[in-house]
Amino acid sequence: MLRMSLSVVLVVLALCAASAAAADRLPKAFFDSHCVTCHDRDTHEGGLDLTTVPFEPAKPENFARWVKVHDRIESGEMPPKDAKRPPTAEVAAAVRSLGQELREAEQQQLDREGRTGVRRLTRAEYENTIRDLFEMPGIAVQGNLPADGSAHGFDKNVDALDISHVNVAKYIEAADHTLDVAIATRPQAPMVQKRRISLCNNGGFVAHVVTNGDGVLLKNKQPDPNFPPAGDYNHIDEGAHHRIGSFANTSTVGLFRHEDESLSPYFIEHVTIYPGLYRVRTSLWSFQWDKGKVLPSRGTEAARLSVVQLTGDGRGGQHPSYVLGYYDAPSMESREHEVTTWLNWNELIGFNTASLAPVANYARKGRSLAFTGPGIAVDWLDIEGPLHEQWPPASHKLLFGDLPLEEFKPADHPNIKAPRRKVVRQLGAGKNRPDPAPGLYTVGSAQPLADADRLLAAFLPKVFRRPVDAETHKSYVARVAERLEAGDCFETAMRWAYRAALCSPDFLYHAEPVGKLDDFALACRMSYFLWNSVPDDRLTSLAAAGSLHIPETLRAEVERMLKDPKSQRFVEDFLGQWLKLRQIAANDADKKLYPEFSLYLQDSMVAETRAFFRELIDKDLSASHLIRSDFAMLNEKLAVHYGIPGVVGSQIRRVPLPPDCPRGPFLTQASILKITANGTTTSPVPRGAFVMARLLGQEPDPPPASVPAIEPDVRGATTIREQLDKHRSDMVCASCHAKIDPPGFALEQFDVIGGQRDRYRTIGEGVGDPAPRGSIDPFIGISFRLGPKVDASSSLADGRTFNDVIEFQKLVAADTARLLRNMAEQFAIYSTGRPLAFSDREPIAAIVATAQKKGSGIRTLIHELVQSELFQTK
Amino acid sequence: MIYRIFVLLAAVFVATELSAADTPTEVTETYRVTGLFQPDRVDDLKLAMKEIPEAVLVSVDYDNAEATFRFEPKQAFGTTNLEQARERLNVKVRGVTSGLFGIKARCTIPRDKLELVEIKIYGLDCKGCSCAVYEAAARIDGVERATASFKDGLLKAWIDSAKTNRAALEDSLKQRRIPLEPAK
Repeated sequence: MLRMSLSVVLVVLALCAASAAAADRLPKAFFDSHCVTCHDRDTHEGGLDLTTVPFEPAKPENFARWVKVHDRIESGEMPPKDAKRPPTAEVAAAVRSLGQELREAEQQQLDREGRTGVRRLTRAEYENTIRDLFEMPGIAVQGNLPADGSAHGFDKNVDALDISHVNVAKYIEAADHTLDVAIATRPQAPMVQKRRISLCNNGGFVAHVVTNGDGVLLKNKQPDPNFPPAGDYNHIDEGAHHRIGSFANTSTVGLFRHEDESLSPYFIEHVTIYPGLYRVRTSLWSFQWDKGKVLPSRGTEAARLSVVQLTGDGRGGQHPSYVLGYYDAPSMESREHEVTTWLNWNELIGFNTASLAPVANYARKGRSLAFTGPGIAVDWLDIEGPLHEQWPPASHKLLFGDLPLEEFKPADHPNIKAPRRKVVRQLGAGKNRPDPAPGLYTVGSAQPLADADRLLAAFLPKVFRRPVDAETHKSYVARVAERLEAGDCFETAMRWAYRAALCSPDFLYHAEPVGKLDDFALACRMSYFLWNSVPDDRLTSLAAAGSLHIPETLRAEVERMLKDPKSQRFVEDFLGQWLKLRQIAANDADKKLYPEFSLYLQDSMVAETRAFFRELIDKDLSASHLIRSDFAMLNEKLAVHYGIPGVVGSQIRRVPLPPDCPRGPFLTQASILKITANGTTTSPVPRGAFVMARLLGQEPDPPPASVPAIEPDVRGATTIREQLDKHRSDMVCASCHAKIDPPGFALEQFDVIGGQRDRYRTIGEGVGDPAPRGSIDPFIGISFRLGPKVDASSSLADGRTFNDVIEFQKLVAADTARLLRNMAEQFAIYSTGRPLAFSDREPIAAIVATAQKKGSGIRTLIHELVQSELFQTK
Repeated sequence: MIYRIFVLLAAVFVATELSAADTPTEVTETYRVTGLFQPDRVDDLKLAMKEIPEAVLVSVDYDNAEATFRFEPKQAFGTTNLEQARERLNVKVRGVTSGLFGIKARCTIPRDKLELVEIKIYGLDCKGCSCAVYEAAARIDGVERATASFKDGLLKAWIDSAKTNRAALEDSLKQRRIPLEPAK
């Protein structure tokens, strides 16, 4: 005890001595000459007294304060412009000296603890890992896990990844669910069923609205003579129509109405019984309905297919779980679309007339015979599956290799408990039926312990993502032995071990040695960076051979990984957090102010941002594209929204832009503009702060607690600029707002859904002028008016002025190094799971410098980061 | 003893044979069929009867809404009672047609003794709508025969005026929210 106390005292003394020594090396002469006039005990401008503040870098707050002092001097912000400027050499020496002290202090701490703390898998990482390990590419598990936090912009950060008993309980459930889906329980694969389904099914919502005029049945692209459109009178007694088979024919279904609270247009006759891959084909076209006549449509319309997980008893209104895609419906010409997708238990395919404006003839006089407008027709939907390349599936083979599936007859095994089987009840109105029960089949083993030893020897290194020591391996085999002794059958006993492995820290946590990463840890860091998932066999074998860290190998592997479709997970996960795309639906646009907003537009916004980032990587384009671009990634919906002609169809593609078009880069993408608005109004402050932090890499300080937020004037009588001018008259506010507001002012040219504007919209009575319809769909009512003019001019903190967003883009995009540095920092935080340290600045600068020499491309930057010591060190 | 057993068995055999000779092995019966509300329903009935191998549809008299069936009561419906057999045939027919067709005993009232009621219906424009109108009428006790035509927009019902009347028909239609044209 005495010895321990003495050690503690010695360490404290040593730290104090080190701090005192470091404090002596601070540029005190510089502070005395240029700083203490304002930052002394009496004045302590900005709350800083340099005469008394200690240098205690072991304390995070103190360290951060000295970093701020360093940065203010380095950037020239301090001493202030109106004070006498110190000689450049003196500034450089002071910055160098203070920087050196900060780096040394930080290094001591990092040497002790490593840069990245111990962190668990995020929900997305967990799900992707399960999907890849078990080759079950669509199994859904993350929805049942507790939400991850976020720190320093990303959920991968160690500070965001806490764990509680709730997590543990959910991991057990997730492991059980995974094993339920993975283990084959029948000797043959479930029979492949192919079914052609009409959107208008007996008992479905569509039949109901078709009998009431929100849709029609069509034959040969004309109204179905056997089921005339509903006119002044709806079809009498829907039940009688169901029983007589009015909806069981092969008619095409033409819909005028959107999915809404009362209409769930789903293909209800397939409800998945066997999870797996299914081939989905559909035939779509569009038309113009004119009071009973079918005419060519106004252009190509877009339909949405989604996957819907039935909940509750499977009846009533359900909601799409995720969008499968948007598909073109050309005028009067049936077009077939095919997609192969994984479907889980009780999932079905949903439909929506995505590009149509919301209309309803349901209770209107004359119903469909009084309606003229666009419609989308669905000829049929084919669904085929489950599709298995092999049986038992790869997921089962991962667990049980080639051991046979044998019928389990309890009489033959009197002292052994039969394996547990999950009973799945098919919800809804699916007409697909389960295969006849084959009996109780389970994995047979003549030498259970020998097989367990062999299977676990293959399984554990895969799931733990590195070699497993003999002791760990033995402990899992011992679990199996224990369960066998307790009377479990071989499958159940193995299941215990597998479940334990999937809930163990070895699986749930990223294991990284302190210091330089070994090749296995490097493989993990790369794969969780670029695939958001577990390393594949090639990465693992390179790690096993000890050759992964070789620069040429790393370069080749990064290229391979970025070309792999799995890298789309990186695109989506990274953008979801860096640019906050996950928050795209955090608020809905005000329906009166922005009636043209739709989910199709919102999904197109997200698709644009993802496609643009993908294009930057694939074509290795310069970081200046964050701010300015000569192309955009658009579909028809966005092109119309942006006022760019000549784009037809729902698919996103590269579109060249005319000169001086502000569209294209992240800065002016509708997704970013929506995320940084509140659905009703825009404010330069949050938008400016977003641009500063996310695109320019300069996180603004949080606002002082005592300053109230600016309340927007929704009536539109006062512009936000007028309100902000009052706010900025306060000198304390002005210093930060001088940096934050300019990008926000430039973006005032865009409304809350990313539309370009010259005047603010208003719904104030008697305020403003009537609004022209512009590109807004003629079926959408307009009640907003046009209020005050937008002023997008401002000046940057360095004094350079701009009149509009295009001039702002030209000024900011020229600073490629700054943009590249920001990207390097964001990639580094995301990939290493920790915030950037003060001492990371030099490595980041080196990465940026090398990337700049090679053309400033985003893919080049990723390569340089992966090659760096910063990336390859814990 | 053996002789007595032999005599007993012979007696049982003879009795069984005599009993079988008394029961008709195959019968041909004509019944009233509900659900024949328009001519193409005859084909629908023929199609539905293909799913009931126990009975053969011999012929259909659309005008009188009757059909003739041939079947072996015992083998097909497990009974020698023809009334029970008819009811069991009804259950099967209703089962395979979701209740759209039904089998009843023949109407005992001559057609010329029945009163014809005609009601014009708004928005009667497809087979499903005709079915709905027909069912609203046919469920009333006293309606012996009915047709509903979306071509004419007309419900025709032959009723036993001792049991029901036009007002009851109109009430039944209104209960199902079927819009009626005012009588001229």
